[in-house]
Parts: sequence; C-alpha cells; structure tokens
Amino acid sequence: MRIAFAGNPNSGKTTMYNALTGRSEKVGNWGGVTVGSKEFQLKKEYAGGKEVIAVDLPGAYSMSPFTPEEGITSEYVRTANPDAIVNIVDATNLSRSLFFTTQLLELGIPVVVALNKTDINEKEGTRIDATKLSAKLGCPVFETVSTENKGLSEMIAKAISLAGTTQEAPYLQADIDLHDKNAVDAEDRKRYSFVNDIVADVEKRTVLSAESQKSDKLDAVLTNPIAGILVFAAVMWFVFWVSQAWLGPLVADWLVGWIETFQGWVAGQLENSPAILSALLADGIVGGVGAVVGFLPLVMVMYFLIALLEDCGYMARVSAVMDPIFKRVGLSGKSVIPVVIGTGCGIPAIMACRTIRDERERRATSMLATFIPCGAKIPVIALFAGAFFAGAGWVSLLSYFFGLLLIFLGALLIKGITGYKYRKSFFIMELPKWKAPSLKFAFRSMMERAKAYIIKAATIILICNTVVQIMQTFDWHFNVVEEGAENTSILASIASPFAILLIPLGFGVWQLAAAAITGFIAKENVVGTLAVVYGLTAFIDTEELAMTGGANTVAMTMGLTSVTALAYLFFNLYTPPCFAAIGAMNSEMKSRGWLWGAIGLQLCTGYTVAFLINQFGTLFTEGHLAAGFVPGLIAEALMVLAVVMIGKKVRSHFDEQYALHKKASKAGAAA
Amino acid sequence: MQAQFALWNSSKTSAPTVDKGAEDVTAKRTLLNAEPGVTYTIKEINTDDDEMNSFLFRLGCYEGEPITLISKKRKSCIVVIKDGRYNLDNLLSEAIIV
Repeated sequence: MRIAFAGNPNSGKTTMYNALTGRSEKVGNWGGVTVGSKEFQLKKEYAGGKEVIAVDLPGAYSMSPFTPEEGITSEYVRTANPDAIVNIVDATNLSRSLFFTTQLLELGIPVVVALNKTDINEKEGTRIDATKLSAKLGCPVFETVSTENKGLSEMIAKAISLAGTTQEAPYLQADIDLHDKNAVDAEDRKRYSFVNDIVADVEKRTVLSAESQKSDKLDAVLTNPIAGILVFAAVMWFVFWVSQAWLGPLVADWLVGWIETFQGWVAGQLENSPAILSALLADGIVGGVGAVVGFLPLVMVMYFLIALLEDCGYMARVSAVMDPIFKRVGLSGKSVIPVVIGTGCGIPAIMACRTIRDERERRATSMLATFIPCGAKIPVIALFAGAFFAGAGWVSLLSYFFGLLLIFLGALLIKGITGYKYRKSFFIMELPKWKAPSLKFAFRSMMERAKAYIIKAATIILICNTVVQIMQTFDWHFNVVEEGAENTSILASIASPFAILLIPLGFGVWQLAAAAITGFIAKENVVGTLAVVYGLTAFIDTEELAMTGGANTVAMTMGLTSVTALAYLFFNLYTPPCFAAIGAMNSEMKSRGWLWGAIGLQLCTGYTVAFLINQFGTLFTEGHLAAGFVPGLIAEALMVLAVVMIGKKVRSHFDEQYALHKKASKAGAAA
Repeated sequence: MQAQFALWNSSKTSAPTVDKGAEDVTAKRTLLNAEPGVTYTIKEINTDDDEMNSFLFRLGCYEGEPITLISKKRKSCIVVIKDGRYNLDNLLSEAIIV
C-alpha cells in the first residue's frame, strides 16, 4: 500500500515523513527543500501490521506545475495511483493551502487532511474548527504537530483504513475546455471563492497576518541591501571560523591522537610480517583513511551549524537579500540556496537548483554551485592550511569567499556566452515564520553526515588508497619498486604525463598530479593519496607539525613553497567536482552541451587560478616568474580562444532563432 | 526614492485637471509606488507572463484580493498575501496594480 504526502511547500511534509518512517531526509524552514520524491516503509508502530509505503513529494501550490519540482508532485498523484493521500495543510495559512486540497479531493483517491503546525496557531490564538472543516471538505481532518509527533498515529491509521475507498469531492471543476484560458481562469476563481467561504466559516484569528509583527522588524534588517549582506557575511564567517579554525580543529586534534595510537598499534602487530603488508595496512589503509577521518570533526561542526541556519528560516531571507546581486550577474536569488547547501555537499546543492524556474539560470547555477568548497574539500583545505600556513584560519575563509567570487565571475561569463535573453526574471520567495532551530534536528543531521563520511572513508577512499599504494609499490612487471627508483612505479608512469601539464602551475610532479586525479573520485582522496605517496601519514597532525617545524619537512618533501601550495590547493578546490557531482549535474542540466561546458569551465577555472597564483605569487616573493610561464600563457590563450568561439557559435544560433521568431510574428501580424 | 515619491504625489494631485490619457497613467498605482503599512485591493496583475500570473493566482494574489505592503527596499519589498509573507522584486511589484 502506498500513501502519498502532498501539500504546499514548507508545510512540513518531510518532517512528518521522517517521523513516520524513521528516516532522516533533509528538512529546512523554507519552501522547496524536497526536490524529488522519496519513499520508505512506515515504522511498525504506525503501519498497523500492514506493509505501508509512505511517499514524500516536493511541495506544490496546485496541480499545475510552475517549477520543475512541482511537476514531480502533480505527475505522481495523477499517474501513480497511490492508495491514499495525506494532504499536509499549513494551518497558519489555511486560505492558501485549501486550493490545492480541493484539487486533490477531485482525484477520487481517499484524502486525509493533516492540519499541521497547529502549535503555532495556538500561540497566535488562531482557532480552526477541525470538525466543521472536515464536514465541509468531506474528508477526515486531524490536527498535527509533526515536529513533536502529535496527532500522527491517529491520522495515519485513518489514512490506512481508507485506502481503496473512493473520495467524494466537495467541489468539482465544471466541464470546460481546458485549452480555453479564460474558462480555466474563471473556474479557478470559483474554486478560490469556494475555499474563501470555507475559511471564513472555520477560522478565527486574533492576530491578523497583515498586522505588523515583531519579526517584521528583523526581516527589515535582514533584507536590507547593506545590513542584510553584512549580516550574511558575518554569519557565514562565524560558521567557517567555528568549524574550521576553532571548535572543529580542537576536536580533530584529539581524534588524530587516537588514530595515530591505533596506527602505531597496527604497525606493532605487523612487526614480523613482510614489509609490503605492513606498508599496505599501516600506511596505506590505516594511515590514508585515518588522514581523512581525522578531519571529520571539522565537517561535523560545519553540518551542525548549517543545519541550525536551515532550520530557523534564515535561508529565505538570505535568498531575498542576495537576489539583486545575483540578478546582476544573470542568476537569481534562489541560486543562494544551492550555494549554501553546497558548503555541505555538491550533489544536493545541484539538485536544489530545480526550484529555479528559468532554465538558463537553473543550468548556470548547477554549473557554478560546486565552486563553493564542499565538506569533502575541508580535509584538503585543513591539510594545506596546517602544513603550509601554520593552521591559519584565513586560508579556509579565503577558499570560501574566493569560491563565491568565482561563482559571480563564472555567471558573468555564462551570461556573456549565452547572450543575455531579455526574458523577465521575476523573484518571489515566501518568508516563512521564524522558529527556534531544533538542536536535536541539527544533531541528527550532523550524525547522519558523519555516518556517510565514515562509510565513504571505509569504502571508496579505502579502495582508492589501497590501489594507489599498490600502484606505487610495483612497476609494470609487478616487481617491487626499489628505493630511489620511485619513478618507475605504475602510478608514476601514469601520472607523469599529466604532471607535465601542471608545470606552469608550480606543481608538475607525478605525486601531486596523482593526488589531483584521485580527487575526481572523491575529493578526500587528495589527502589520502598525498599521505600514501609521500609516506607522510603523520602530517595530518597539523598542530604538532606547526610546532615542531614539521610543516617545513612537509613542504620540502612535497617540493612546494607557500605560493605553489596555495596554487595546488585552489587547483583542487575549483577544478571539476567528484564524478558523483558531475553525474548530478548531468541529470539536472539535461543537455550534453551544458554539461561539457560546465566541465570545461571548471577545468579552465582551476587551471587559470592556479596559474595566476603561481606566476604572480612567485614574481612577488622571488622577483621572477615561475617555470613554464610561456607554455602556460599559451594554454590560457587557447582557453580564451575556445570561450570566444563557443560564445560566437551560441550567439549566432540564438540570433538565428530570434530572427525566425521575428519573421513568424511579422507574418502573423500580416495575416 | 523620495524624489520618486514626490513625483508620483504631484502627478496624483494634478490628476483631476489633466486629460484622460494621462489620468490612466497616474491611476495605475502599482506596489512599487504604494505606501508601506497599507492594505490594498489588487486591481490587476500583469506580468506579461501567463505562467507567472497563474502562479501568483495560486498564492492568492489576484484581482479583488487584498495585499498588504509591509516594507519597501530599493530593489524589493515584502508583502502579505493571504496569510503568508513574501519578498518580491521590483519587476514583480511593478506588475501588481493596486
């Protein structure tokens, strides 16, 4: 049996779904958090001995979709024939929600209305007569608070018992020609007046929504073009500082101590085993994976803080305050949400672009969102900050704000290439009611992330490290590579051709090239591979290295100066993301041209940023340009040429389309 | 912005004396030149974009319905439609005639 959860955006569908199934799907206090359908079995205590699948759907205002994620919902309830529908109604906005309710009631599938967020109504003194509402709609109505599990078991039991019955609609759309826009409009108007009459009858408010409220003063500041942006910058600075310069490293140091003890223990156990086995297990597996896991606290603290932000209602305000700036570069205020989500992981960030209505803005945002360093890049940043910049917090802050700058520049470039279409780009964003963020929810979100991170470290990263370890231990004849002849290893011979391309960037050695390449599988691999290829597993303890001058050892072993280290770090941050994120980009863009454009843009950006940092940085610190300036310059010239050519091609295509359109309209006018 | 206001106010006061064509222009008060804190009745929605118009409709933003302007910024404003608060950009507020 399938029960679909449908309702307006931000009415609490996913929170209810999580409570009923025990899942931890992403929730947040803004409209459009859920962008795809998800399904899972109901918990036993709710299912009543039956096998019941709950289907969580993206929020929708009606059966006619406006943005792509709304389309998923109307398509599902229309074609997938669920056995019952739970319509989650935001009790604080009954008058808007019931429009969709009356449409759902027409489908013939039994509907149960969950009047959610009734706790807020109680606080505000709004009373809704549920019995009367139930009688008017002709379906059961239950008052629920999904954040506190209130009223859920009665509601879902009713939905299960109704499955298979037929729903009578209280309001039926007249048989009209659905192609006749005016007739449809008139029908919709009638539907709304039917809804308005119900609301007038069942709802009593003591506080009118239109009255100025305390929260309006806060919103006025947060959406103010100057104050609002300063607050946003300060909030993000705080999040990054706490997670990556203060609390995160504090916990990480403690964890790394444990990992090192464990590694020592493993090495001790293997004392009498062959050297290769010991190297593989102690250095390769424990060391490489440990290097990645050591940074887990930074990621966890960051997830916790971002979850608090997402839960309180701030995201919608950020979106609103950033809209004018993003619009200027050809994106939309809604592009901010993928950017903030992208600090955690690029894949949900790219998927979140679905809420952007304009196709060009949507594709451009999914192309650029991964310039913001994700959680997997945190270990890379932290490693370089620790080994080369004495753990300076500015390195991580710079990485994020530079990523944001690249998004703006990239957006301008895309706008230039595609030729700005003069289609009006409207912005409307609901500002949800503020709520105190739930620590429990943030903790769960953090633990969920930690689990995923450890699983990834124990699978993909473990395998990659093992493969890297084997590839650098053996040559092509499967003989063990002798000391001093490391260049003959399988890994060295594969990575060397790539390393040549990286000479102008200041890090043209096979070890660094290999680490950058494994980074495409998962960005944490950059750290794991470096730890393996340089046998420097201890340098994960950045604090201690900084104190004992170990950073110099690292710098010498890796052959990097602080300039080239920064270039290498930024190269890894701003080149294409991992394959999984590229896959997500592919499915959201639905265009080969855009996908290859995205990969090309990201490769060129990573290369250019590293090239400029290396050449100018070396010029400033050492008074001369770095090696490979001319070849690098030629590469840059080729990139510019490619961009110009693509731009020309795209624009001529656009002109052609536009010209055709003009002719057609002229012909139409003549007729 | 104050200058804009003044302009609008003056054209409003002079409205009775000007001809009909000009009156039509001044009569088209949009959210862009409305007063914060006031609840208006929507006269017309015209975004030149059918999908956008019907999206607004589904939120409860259509002719005859009330809309309250809560606050105004240089490039956006906050309004109350039904029982929800929304941030609109100027392009959209310009298309809502009250």
